[in-house]
Amino acid sequence: MIHLVFLGKFGDVAPAGLGEIALPDGVGTLGELNHWLAEREPLLGQAMAATPTRMIVNQCVAHDLSQAIADGDEIAFLPPMSGG
Amino acid sequence: MRVRITAEAFDPQAEVAAFAAGRDDAGALVSFVGTCRAKTGDVAVEELRIDHYPGFSEKEIARLAEETAKRFACPDLLVVHRVGSIRPGEAIVLVAALSIHRADAFKAVETLMDYLKTDAPLWKKESGPQGARWIEPRSEDHARRAKAEEGL
Repeated sequence: MIHLVFLGKFGDVAPAGLGEIALPDGVGTLGELNHWLAEREPLLGQAMAATPTRMIVNQCVAHDLSQAIADGDEIAFLPPMSGG
Repeated sequence: MRVRITAEAFDPQAEVAAFAAGRDDAGALVSFVGTCRAKTGDVAVEELRIDHYPGFSEKEIARLAEETAKRFACPDLLVVHRVGSIRPGEAIVLVAALSIHRADAFKAVETLMDYLKTDAPLWKKESGPQGARWIEPRSEDHARRAKAEEGL
């Protein structure tokens, strides 16, 4: 299983049940996960494509879509931040 | 360095008093409190909701605070940030800095606030009679952030 976390406005369009899923077949990198998500959940894919999105793997910032992911990972999707 | 994210309302004056109590290693204390407005422009705000990513948000804000403290030689910095549901008039964020001299304390607070606006993993959503909207950093926030990076 992998754990997906959708923050901010992504949380509004991510369907319930997407928080914990089996690592999909053919998905071994962040880029492949993005592609799989966009195909399965077009609204979410559009929201993520329309805004700068950062990905966090196991609480560490990912800098490369070729980064490998594995069973047990937690991957978070962050829209632009607005603290303060 | 003290960083706290809280879903409970807090009293900024009490936080600052506790932060500064007994500190004789600094000659300056500067604090800033950001509060929830009842209006953004002409649009009424009934609730501000702030999302965070537990663990990561605290870690990133602590990193920003540490960078700021080092840069301005602050013996201590305090950040308290609300998350969850916030009502107009309530404090959203408190930043306080102790420093040897006032100039560094002022700069530390301003710089850390500029960082928080664009780099803190927090997401604000305003709601009111006209609906709800997610807030994203304005170009002015990014410009201030770039200026802060250059050294004000």
